[in-house]
Amino acid sequence: MKSAAFAKGALPALLKGTARQALPEDEIFSAGQNAALSALSLAGQWLRFERPAAPAVFAVEPRIEDRRRMLPDELRRPMLRLLRGRVGTDHVAMAVARALDEHGMRPHPFDLPQLDVFVRSYAERLGATAEHWKARQSKSVETASAYDGDALHDGNWAEAPLGKRVEYLMARRRTDADGARMLLETAWPQQNADARFRLLQGMQDGLSESDVAFLKSQDKDRAPRVRQLARRLLGRLGAVDENPAVAACLGRIRREQTGVLRTRAALRLELPANVKEQAAPAWIRETFAEVSPEELARKLELDMREMADAAAKDRYLLLALALMATVNQRLDLLAATVAHLGDAWQLLCATGLDELGAMLREERLEWAEILIRPYGRKLHVEYGAWDWLHRMLDGAAPAALLESVFDSAWLEDGEGSTRRTVQWMEVMAALCPAEQRGELKARIADFEPQITASAIQLMEFLDGLEASTEDA
Amino acid sequence: MALTLEKIESLAPDQASLTAARKLLKVSAWPTLCAAEGLLWGECQGSGATPYRVVVAEADAGYKCSCPSRKFPCKHALALMWLRAEGKVGFADGSRPEWVKDWLSRRRGSAGAKTPGEDRDGPAPSMDLAVADENKVLDEKAQARAEAIRERSRAEREAAIVAGLADLDIWMQDQVERGMAGFVTQSAKQCRVIAQRLVDAKAAALATRVDRIGAMLFRLPDEARPQAAIRELGQVHLIAEAYRRQGELPEALLADVRQAVGWQTTREALLADAAAVRVEATWRVAGVLTEVQPDRLRRIETWLWRESDAGAEGDLPRVAVLMDFVPVATGAATSGFSAGDRIAAELVFYPSVLPLRAQIARMTGDTQTSNEDIVLPETSLAGSFEDYRAALAALPWLGGWPLTFQDAEVRRAGESLYVVDEAGGIALPLHASQALHALPLAGAGRVQGFGIWDGYEYMMCWANTALGRWVSA
Repeated sequence: MKSAAFAKGALPALLKGTARQALPEDEIFSAGQNAALSALSLAGQWLRFERPAAPAVFAVEPRIEDRRRMLPDELRRPMLRLLRGRVGTDHVAMAVARALDEHGMRPHPFDLPQLDVFVRSYAERLGATAEHWKARQSKSVETASAYDGDALHDGNWAEAPLGKRVEYLMARRRTDADGARMLLETAWPQQNADARFRLLQGMQDGLSESDVAFLKSQDKDRAPRVRQLARRLLGRLGAVDENPAVAACLGRIRREQTGVLRTRAALRLELPANVKEQAAPAWIRETFAEVSPEELARKLELDMREMADAAAKDRYLLLALALMATVNQRLDLLAATVAHLGDAWQLLCATGLDELGAMLREERLEWAEILIRPYGRKLHVEYGAWDWLHRMLDGAAPAALLESVFDSAWLEDGEGSTRRTVQWMEVMAALCPAEQRGELKARIADFEPQITASAIQLMEFLDGLEASTEDA
Repeated sequence: MALTLEKIESLAPDQASLTAARKLLKVSAWPTLCAAEGLLWGECQGSGATPYRVVVAEADAGYKCSCPSRKFPCKHALALMWLRAEGKVGFADGSRPEWVKDWLSRRRGSAGAKTPGEDRDGPAPSMDLAVADENKVLDEKAQARAEAIRERSRAEREAAIVAGLADLDIWMQDQVERGMAGFVTQSAKQCRVIAQRLVDAKAAALATRVDRIGAMLFRLPDEARPQAAIRELGQVHLIAEAYRRQGELPEALLADVRQAVGWQTTREALLADAAAVRVEATWRVAGVLTEVQPDRLRRIETWLWRESDAGAEGDLPRVAVLMDFVPVATGAATSGFSAGDRIAAELVFYPSVLPLRAQIARMTGDTQTSNEDIVLPETSLAGSFEDYRAALAALPWLGGWPLTFQDAEVRRAGESLYVVDEAGGIALPLHASQALHALPLAGAGRVQGFGIWDGYEYMMCWANTALGRWVSA
C-alpha cells in the first residue's frame, strides 16, 4: 500500500520533471543514488497493474434483419481466393455478386473486411448486412432499417435499397399498373435524381393513358434525364405535341421512293458533315436515344416493320433504329432491324449505350440472342464487345453464344491467339450459362493455368453455389 | 499434413509469387518430381542450364530451393506444393538424393535431423585408430584454447554491457529531470541515440526495446503518452538494475534478465539443456502474429494452445509461442502454420519464470488442418486479467501475455473496438490494426476468445462465436 501511495504521489513530479518538482519524501523510496529512477520504475509498475480505462458509452449496434442464407463454409475460402486482391477484370466480381443475389445468399459477416472493396461495390446485391457494412464504412447516416426483397410490401418498399425498389415497382406494375404508379407518386418526393430516373424506367412496363398525368408532371423535374425519360414515355403514348428530339431526327432523315413494280419508302440518314465515321455511333446515341420508335414511325407514317425495311440500305439509320428499339424495349423492331444489320452487336457497343433499363431477365436474353444470331460460327467480335455484352446483360448469355464458341475454331486457335488471355477467359466464364460450364472448362483445361485459373475458379464457385442451393 | 491451396496461399509472400508459381504448374517444367515419406522434391527447369532443386516437407510446409530468389518461399517451392495439393500430377516414388538428405539433416525438429556425431556412420576403420588417438590430444588442447577465448570474450561483453547500462542510467536521469511530458515529443530521436549506445555495448535486446519506445508512444492517444513513457522507461530501468544484481536473482529470473539484455540461448544449447521444460502434447495454432522490428527483421509469432494433457499436469505451460525472425526484404510474412492447425510435438521452453517462448524439439505426428473450436478455459476476462497481474508480479518486464476469456462482447466506441466483460467491469481496447477486421464481431453477441495483451492493447487471435470461428487476419 505504501509503495502504491508513493508511486501515485510521484507521478506529477515524473511528468513535469524532477528538476521542476521534487519527488515526495519517503524514507525507503527516496533514498539511494538512483532514487529518481527507482521512483520511475515503481510508478511505471504501479501503472501497469491498473486496469485500462473503459469508455463511458459504447455504440449500440443496430439489429440487421437479413433473411438471406449465409454462404456455406466450404465456399468461403474459394470466394476469398477469387475476390481478395483482384487485379483482373471486374467480370468475376460481377458474376459472384449476381449469383449470390440470385440464390438469396450473403457473404459470411467475418469475411466482409477482407472483401471490403467488393462489398462496397456490390452491396445492393449482397443483402442487408452488406448494405449496413457499406453504410458504416462510408460514415454516412446509418440506414434506419434494411429489408430483404422477399420481406418487401407496400408499407416498407420505399426504405429498401434502390435496386430492390425498382424490382418491387416493376413486379407491382405487372400485376397492378395503376396501383404501382400511385405507390410511386406517394414516395416520389423522397427520391433523389438517380432514384427518380431508375424508378421511372421501371414504369415502362404496362404504360397506358392513365400514366399521362403523372408523366406530364415530370416536365419540371430538376434532373434533365428524368425530364427526357418522361417526355420519351409520353412520346410512346402519343401524348406529346412536339418533341424537339424527334424534329432533330427527322431533319436528318431523307425519305425517298424505291421499287419499280411496287414502290415503297426508302430512308436514309444524313450525318452532319463534322461527324466522322468513327464518331457516328456516339452521335446516333446522342440524337436518337431520347426518341421513341413509335413517335418516329408516326411522323414517318410507317409501321415498325416498314420503317426497318425502309432503312435496310442505310447502316447508320439501322443502327439508330436498333438503338431506339433497345432503349424502348421493342424487341420486335430490334429483330427486324438486325435482319439487315448483321454486326449490330458491335455497332451498338460502339454507341456507348450502357444499360438496358428496366428489361426483365428473359427480355435481356432475347435481346442478346437477337444480336448474337447473325454471327453464327463467325464470332469475330472484339473483347470490348464481349465486355459490353456482359455489362448489359448483367447475367449469363443465351446458350447460343457459347454454342457458337464451341462450334467454331474460336478457342482452338494457336497459343499466340490474342484470345488466350485472362480477360477473355474471365468474361467467357462470367457469361457462360450453368449448363455449359462443364463444356467450357473442358475446352480450356489445356490452356496455360495462369490464363484460366480465375475463370475456372469462378465456374467452380458458381457450380458450388448452385449445388448448395439445391441441397438446401 | 496434406498441403492445401489455402495453406499455400497463406505461405506465399505476395500475390505475384502465386501468379509466378502458377506458370510452373506444367509437368514439362519439372524434369524430376518425387515424393517419399512426407517429403516432396523436384527439379525445376529455370532459365539457366542447371535446374533448381526444390524440396518440401509436407508435415510442416518447410521448404528449400536452390534458386537465388529473395522471396521465401520462392515460386518454385510454391509450385511444387501446388502440384501436390492439386493432385493432378503424379509424383514418382524414389529414394532421397543426397541434397535432400543434407537439407533434412539441418532442419529443426525434423524426424530426419541428425544428432551430433551421427554423421559418422559405422565404426572408424581400425587402421586409423593410432592417428585418431593423436588427434584426440590435439583436439583437447584446441578445445581448451577455444573455451578460454570464449570465456574472455564473455567477460569483455559483461563489462561492456555494465558500462552501457551506466550510460543508460545517466540518460534516464536526464529524461526524468526533464519530465516525461517533454520526453514524448522527442522520444524517437532520444531513444535512437541511447539504443545505438546499447548496441555498441552489446546489449542488443535492450537496445531494441528502447528503440521501439518512440514508435510505440506515437501509436497511443496524446493524453496516454506521458504515462506510457513512465511505464516503458520504468521497465528498462528494472532490467538494467536486475542485470547489475544478477547474483541475487533466482535462476529462472536470471535467465529472463539476461535474455532481456541480449544474451541469447541458441537452439542447440536449449535442446541440450536437460533442465529445460519439455512438454509433449497436441497443440493448436491459436494465432500467427507478425511485427516488423526496428532492426528490419520481421518477428513471426506462432501462438500455440495446448489441447491435450501432458502427463503430469502440474504447472506445465498451457500456451507456447514459437518465434521466427526473417529479414523484411524477403517478403515472407507467415510461419509454416495457420490458425487452427493441430500439431503433435514436443516443445522445449526457454528458461524463464513464466515459460512461454519455445522451440519444437521434435514433431511426434503429422500437422493437421482443423475446423474445430479451441476449447478455452472457463475464465472470464476479468479473471484472466488477474492472472496477467500475477504474471506481471513474477516477471516485471513482461511483454505480451496470453489472455483467454468467456462470455464477453466486442463493442464499439467511436472508431475503436473493445472486448467488454460487463460482469467483471473490464474493457480492453482491441489493437488498432484490428479495427476493420474485427468489426463484424461487434454485434455478434457473446464470444469466447484468445489473444495477446501487451499492457495497452489486446490483439485478438481467435474467437469462438455464434457465427463460427473468427481468426485474426
